[in-house]
Amino acid sequence: MNTLKTVGISTTRIDTLQRVTGKAQYTNDVKLPGMLYAKILRSPHPHARIRSIDTSKALAMPGVKAVLTNENCKVIWGAGSIAGGVQYSDEIKKITKQHRYAFNNPVRFAGEPVAAVAAVNRHIAEEALLKIHVEYEPLPFVLDQEDAMKPDAPQIWPEGNLALSNRNEAVPMGQKRGNVQDAFAKSDQVFEDRFSTAFVHNAQMEPRSAVAHWEGDHLTLYTPTGGIANCRTDMARDLGIGQDKVRVISQYMGGNFGNKNQNQDADLIAAMLAKQTGAPVKLELSRKEDYIGMHGRWPTTQYYKVGVSKDGAIQGIQLRGYSGMGPYRKNSGAMAGVELYEVANVETSIHPVYTNKTVSGNFRGPEFPQGYFGMQSMTDEVCANLKMDPVDFVLKNMTRKPGGGAKYTDYSLEECVKRGASEFEWAKRWKKVPGSDPGAIKRGAGMSFMAFRSGLGRSDAVITVNAQGKYTVHVGVTDVGAGAKSTMWMIAAEELGVPLSQVDVMWGDTDHCPYSVGESGSRTTIMTGGAVVEAARDLKKQIAAKGMPAGTAMLTATVSANPRLPEGLVRSAFAAHYVEVEVDAELGRIKVLKYLAVHDCGRIINPLTAHGQIHGGVLMGIGMALHEDLIYDKRSGTALTAGYYGARVLTHRDAPKIDVIFIENDDGYGPYGAKSIGEAGKVPAVAAVGNAVANAIGHRMKDLPITRDKVIAVMA
Amino acid sequence: MKTFSNVNARDAKQAVALSQQARKDGKTPAFTGGGSDLLGMVKERIITPDVLVHLRGMKGFDQIEQRGGGLEIGGQVTLDTISHHPLIRSRYAVLAEAAETVATPQIRNVGTLAGNVSQRPWCWYYRNGFPCFKAGGNTCFSIAGENQFHAIFGGGPSFIVHPSDTAPALVALNATFKIAGPGGDRTVAASDFFVLPKQNAAHENILKDDEFLASVHLPAPRPGTRSTYHKIMDREAWTHAVVSAAIVLEMDHDICRSARIVLGGVAPVPWHVPGAEKLLVGQKITPELIAKVAEVSIAGANPLAKNAYKVPLTRNTVKRTLTELTGLTG
Amino acid sequence: MADPVSSFDVSRREFLEGTGAVALAAVAAVPALGADELPSVPHTAIQVTINGVKQKIDVEDRWTMVEMLRDGLGLTGTKIGCDRGECGACTVLLDGKPVYSCSNLAVWADGRSIQTVEGLAKGDKLDPLQQAFIDHDAPQCGFCTAGQLMSAKALLNNNPHPTADEVRAAMTGNICRCSNYNRYVEAVMSVSGARA
Ligand SMILES: Cc1cc2nc3c(=O)[nH]c(=O)nc-3n(C[C@H](O)[C@H](O)[C@H](O)COP(=O)(O)OP(=O)(O)OC[C@H]3O[C@@H](n4cnc5c(N)ncnc54)[C@H](O)[C@@H]3O)c2cc1C
Ligand code: FES
Ligand code: FES
Repeated sequence: MNTLKTVGISTTRIDTLQRVTGKAQYTNDVKLPGMLYAKILRSPHPHARIRSIDTSKALAMPGVKAVLTNENCKVIWGAGSIAGGVQYSDEIKKITKQHRYAFNNPVRFAGEPVAAVAAVNRHIAEEALLKIHVEYEPLPFVLDQEDAMKPDAPQIWPEGNLALSNRNEAVPMGQKRGNVQDAFAKSDQVFEDRFSTAFVHNAQMEPRSAVAHWEGDHLTLYTPTGGIANCRTDMARDLGIGQDKVRVISQYMGGNFGNKNQNQDADLIAAMLAKQTGAPVKLELSRKEDYIGMHGRWPTTQYYKVGVSKDGAIQGIQLRGYSGMGPYRKNSGAMAGVELYEVANVETSIHPVYTNKTVSGNFRGPEFPQGYFGMQSMTDEVCANLKMDPVDFVLKNMTRKPGGGAKYTDYSLEECVKRGASEFEWAKRWKKVPGSDPGAIKRGAGMSFMAFRSGLGRSDAVITVNAQGKYTVHVGVTDVGAGAKSTMWMIAAEELGVPLSQVDVMWGDTDHCPYSVGESGSRTTIMTGGAVVEAARDLKKQIAAKGMPAGTAMLTATVSANPRLPEGLVRSAFAAHYVEVEVDAELGRIKVLKYLAVHDCGRIINPLTAHGQIHGGVLMGIGMALHEDLIYDKRSGTALTAGYYGARVLTHRDAPKIDVIFIENDDGYGPYGAKSIGEAGKVPAVAAVGNAVANAIGHRMKDLPITRDKVIAVMA
Repeated sequence: MKTFSNVNARDAKQAVALSQQARKDGKTPAFTGGGSDLLGMVKERIITPDVLVHLRGMKGFDQIEQRGGGLEIGGQVTLDTISHHPLIRSRYAVLAEAAETVATPQIRNVGTLAGNVSQRPWCWYYRNGFPCFKAGGNTCFSIAGENQFHAIFGGGPSFIVHPSDTAPALVALNATFKIAGPGGDRTVAASDFFVLPKQNAAHENILKDDEFLASVHLPAPRPGTRSTYHKIMDREAWTHAVVSAAIVLEMDHDICRSARIVLGGVAPVPWHVPGAEKLLVGQKITPELIAKVAEVSIAGANPLAKNAYKVPLTRNTVKRTLTELTGLTG
Repeated sequence: MADPVSSFDVSRREFLEGTGAVALAAVAAVPALGADELPSVPHTAIQVTINGVKQKIDVEDRWTMVEMLRDGLGLTGTKIGCDRGECGACTVLLDGKPVYSCSNLAVWADGRSIQTVEGLAKGDKLDPLQQAFIDHDAPQCGFCTAGQLMSAKALLNNNPHPTADEVRAAMTGNICRCSNYNRYVEAVMSVSGARA
């Protein structure tokens, strides 16, 4: 492993200097001559038919340049409709029945756009919103995903509340293996329980904004997107123009965590306003709008039934789950976790359900943290009932083969679990008898584990070299914060065998960068990084054949890589998390005392940035476990806690030290054996915290977040 | 934001006059100190002032002075200054500690004592623009709604809790408030400044139009006084109190001569619990006595559907705070 | 008191008389308005020292400090994450103390001095804190970074050798949603160590 010169060595990011000096240009920093400012009017009702909209007073205001509503703007936002977990495409567009327009009638959640105004400044745009008169006919609404499945629930779509798939089928997702009923009959003990998780928002630091600018029939869109290529395709498709007519620029963006790959309605609305007014338009969302107007993690209800034999071997797992998608199925609504166990008998049935809440979609490990919480809380409870040590229970039941006769490209889960247990001093911290600390201050420890997809896939890269020996890597990444630009830079230098100073990176502009999968799903390092490796090899070959270019000539390597794993192999990142908490049973306060995350993310390309990815994921997981919740008023159907204050997002003072151990293996796939890392830190964290709380207080907390009121209800 | 004009008042008299003048012109005035709370409300259009009467520049109101053995704190003194002031730290610890728990350094650097005491409720219905009592309406949405942070004492018809951290400390210290207004200055006991919704459902204190809180007087502490503020928050900083306790004890060796216990986060006003205090007077403080005091401090609590946890939480907070203050271990 | 006039934008240009490059950049950054007769809005001429350069600028009374910095003066290093005092991205130093520039009015800066992230480096020479942020990889997405820097700067100005808990307390008004808190604290501690 140590033959590498750049990869694996802590390297300052290529763009940190810009970020610490304030020079990095984020979308909202863009200012074009003659630019207008736009604001969106949003529905105060969770479900209502719009009887009429009168925009005349707004339009008559000096400084107001355009008002769009569903009457004069019928553009469909494809990626906001039912992509159902797959990237929106021409095929899906053709068959989609349930359309989401930029402006919808009826409106289906409080916060859904009803109109948009462009004006000479943001204050006038905001004033103009107040002058738009909308007459609503409120319709019955439903907020909870289980309520929405009841026969008498208000119907959000004519096809019912079970969300359609991208083939227009209303069927739960699920799998069936063996026979769970037989397994339960043969089990020594069968346990059943219910868990729930809340809607938590990505809450990336940069609130959404978009700047759209038409030159003739050519659109330039500045927008925070982790996937400029997908965003361009989506914009072109929605607007009905050629992809060559759309340029998407995203030089810097303030976080993503899953809600910025594809185009967003804000992009479309800005583009339509710019078209209408003939001027560049900057659309800005407030933090509250971002919270209720952009998607977050789907809330879930999970019913488990688990059968075990005396020795603690799981015989069967049954899961019936409900995921609240909001009124549009922007993502799958799946729940991960069951696949973590090597069990012969499995039956799952997961219902993605329409509700009149804010839309759900991707958020850092979309189906994982909440699914893992339910599944690993359930098994931890089973284990506690059996009076087994969770580490032994996990080692006994965890996945060792991916199933279906397949094999992992390499396997380190056992090492993660064992190494973690010893470094964490599990035996010392874990309470044999949960809740056994005398007095009000109770300590306990919990653990969880992870096996997380780390697939290969398509991405492009272009590398050029000039006569001065300057290499330029063109990649369609924007760097959501995880360091993608630097990763590509390092991979290129390594493969080219040149120092970093000879390599430049061009990013974040579809006019200058080829296709990249986009920074979601922890795929960038693997896929785009893989393409960079290929391009570098190609370029080296060219240099070997033709020599270095002279004068103004350049050599160019263009690669469109789409590597696939051999049949029967599965690539996975593994982890085990260990956490010790202290619960003040009288005051209901939960404090994380010690946290250890052991991860196999394959080879670490840049150790300097890798730790931060795990830190960030874990801390978000702690926030999800203990604080965050978009609480709704049941009668009005509106959100009460949109924002950092309302959601109690962690502060410096809430953040414990996170210890990270990387187990580095090169499985021979991906660039230098790199696996997914961006989401991994968060995936097992929520379950680990929940298990630690249960160990500390001797009560299983089944509903997230584990807030003070819930702790006191069982303890005080 | 809505348009408004900002006017910087030179002194108290002019501040009052500017507010009166605005009203005469058919405009809505609002007093502002640091604006850390006010601007948020203007942006959300919860309030829609036409004129901001900015008080920070008023001469003499950002001073802390010793007066008559006590301390006179100008209403424009920032929370940051209060939390670091040596005299306040040593003699009125409860106030310094309360100020230090407010939000963040950035807010404490501009947030004034008067603004902190006068801030409007942080009930999520009010702050999300529901037309409740506090917004001039005639309902409290929390009663049949999400009320996990609402009042367990003194509620009705509105069930807000008073949001200020310094208010319970000031009531516990027997402070007096000086109010400037059209009729000149008037002085009231801190405890009389705050009013229950029963008396006035729309506003939390006795301030009338064009009146503002000018300064606060703290009486000289009696010998043997010790005090502290304990705040329960739903994260380690930057939120209002779920429950808090401001406690001032006058101790003569191990005998308690007098006690003030004022609770925050539990009632529409800083909630004084005289019944619990009485138990302490003339007594040697023991863990058993503390437990009794804590129990009595929740007498009469009347929780809503989702805030019953606040009752034991309040009891336990009082117990903890007293235990820490007296150096006993529970 | 502010007296309303129309076409305030033109008068603002005339007020700009700063000498530094910052002031010149500001002129170029002023938005060009349409031909509309806009309603008059209360506005006030103020004098404020920004990153050491004294400037006169005409601001609408309702402008927040961050609007003045970003839109009026083109100093876009200061970010808006919430506009409500909930995140800290907009933190600047007002007379040396960290404040939320989204929760203060621009007019209140009259006669005072503001330091922003753009004012930390001296020419090409980075402030030690900036260098430490780079070395410790403190920024992930970087959107909270200017605010973190300003809070840390204020702390070290007053307390060159803080403990880690003091660092957390001083920076607790700066949320990092990338949650790189461990790194931010390490970076600040490393600077204080260097000075020890
Ligand atoms: C995210 C966030 C968290 C917060 N957390 C806390 C907290 O934990 N604890 C807490 O106590 N507060 C908290 N606050 C509220 C507030 O910012 C502080 O209380 C601050 O001290 C208010 O002071 P100010 O001078 O900025 O008040 P301003 O914003 O100027 O005024 C607040 C209110 O009081 C009125 N007012 C101002 N001065 C006077 C006066 N002299 N006389 C009469 N009325 C006056 C104003 O009209 C306004 O209604 C928080 C605010 C935010 C945004
Ligand atoms: S933008 Fe000012 S605190 Fe968030
Ligand atoms: S670095 Fe992204 S929010 Fe802090």
